[in-house]
Amino acid sequence: MRDFYWNRHPDGPFATLIRIATTYLHPEVDELEALQKLVKRETDEMHTFKSELRKAVNDPAQLPDDELSKHVRYEDGSPEAFLRRLWRDLYGDEPIDTPQHP
Amino acid sequence: MRIDRTCLTDAPSEDHTVRRARSALDDVDAAGKAAPDQDNPTEAAPADKPAKVANPHKPAEPRSRGEVYADTRQSAESGWDRHRKWDTSDTELAQFKTERAGLRETSQKEADGYVDQHRARRPWLEMAACASPESRRIIVAIDQGSGHGHIRHEGWVTEQANMRRAAYLEDPAQLDMTKRPRGIDGLKPDDKRHKCAELATRITDPDAFATAFTRGAEHPRVRAVIAAPYDPGVWPDPVLIPIADLLGKDGHEYCTGWQLEPVDGSMDAAISNRRAWRTAMAEAREPDVPQPAARPVPTFEGGTLLFLVSHNQARDGYEIVNMYPQPRDDDPSG
Repeated sequence: MRDFYWNRHPDGPFATLIRIATTYLHPEVDELEALQKLVKRETDEMHTFKSELRKAVNDPAQLPDDELSKHVRYEDGSPEAFLRRLWRDLYGDEPIDTPQHP
Repeated sequence: MRIDRTCLTDAPSEDHTVRRARSALDDVDAAGKAAPDQDNPTEAAPADKPAKVANPHKPAEPRSRGEVYADTRQSAESGWDRHRKWDTSDTELAQFKTERAGLRETSQKEADGYVDQHRARRPWLEMAACASPESRRIIVAIDQGSGHGHIRHEGWVTEQANMRRAAYLEDPAQLDMTKRPRGIDGLKPDDKRHKCAELATRITDPDAFATAFTRGAEHPRVRAVIAAPYDPGVWPDPVLIPIADLLGKDGHEYCTGWQLEPVDGSMDAAISNRRAWRTAMAEAREPDVPQPAARPVPTFEGGTLLFLVSHNQARDGYEIVNMYPQPRDDDPSG
């Protein structure tokens, strides 16, 4: 059985981003509002998620193969379009290039 | 009406499975049934009255033309046997406490009464009515919960409905036939658009479904999620369990599905195009993308059952809210 990416590679690149995006945004779940609330939590997990999303938006080529696409099944047509939209949906007009937290 | 030949693959030449499905449609045509239009809601509606046939002793075909087409393709391309029945272990299901899945406990008597009371407005309960009493109790408990696995991923859903879900984003849970062809979700409020991944899958037999659900609820990986400390702001991660672990080495034979055809080798493009096509059709515009197509999943051997655990209706605990089969992922990387 080929398990989810984050179970196969718990310390793999963008594991937190892919896990949380899948858990909340896969079409069978589709809970963007819940994710919007979750990312406001000041936790290590949410800081890691935001950091990984920022890196992915700036350089989608760093994403592992097509794991993001195969897990999340977004409708945006490309990982780049999905990631940019996700940033806007979660963090509004906050600039992508300015980290707010270490 | 225009003959519905939708969801054909764009193969350069028609392969034998599609020819066989067309032939099956011709048989239905000969019996005098009307050919529904592509976006005519009746294509996805419950079967019309049986067609008249010349031989009064021959059983009437209760399925619509679209259902015959989809069933024939599924059988031809995956080997699915629509007459195959799951052999239940009644003791196992009778002993299962639905609270183990985070659901309220339901007695057999309550379950039977619930089906009688609600089956008209909740037609997916028809399969529960046909199932063993023990399976019926479990499906009723699921229906009283927050989940929809029994509505979209169980035997009530036809092959045709899954084919159209994968290709056209038509939600089988949408009972309003003016909304289904417009891609409006049947379970979300405010006419939200229905979403679907590249696959629309199901467990074809209600007893197999109840068995998989019961055994999955007792699986350590699922139990760990259900029993986790409750946080109303957190959605637990999904869990994958091999189909064979829950339904045995032949359990995959009770699973079917349809998969969206890639566009120029890209599933990202296919999913995006499907949304654009769906939106255009719902707005009565000419789409500027190709019509989506879907084909049967060839096999679920080596596949998994995906369990989604989420909040119960009381928002004080977790319950299993969805369960559906996925074919084996043959990607060798990772």
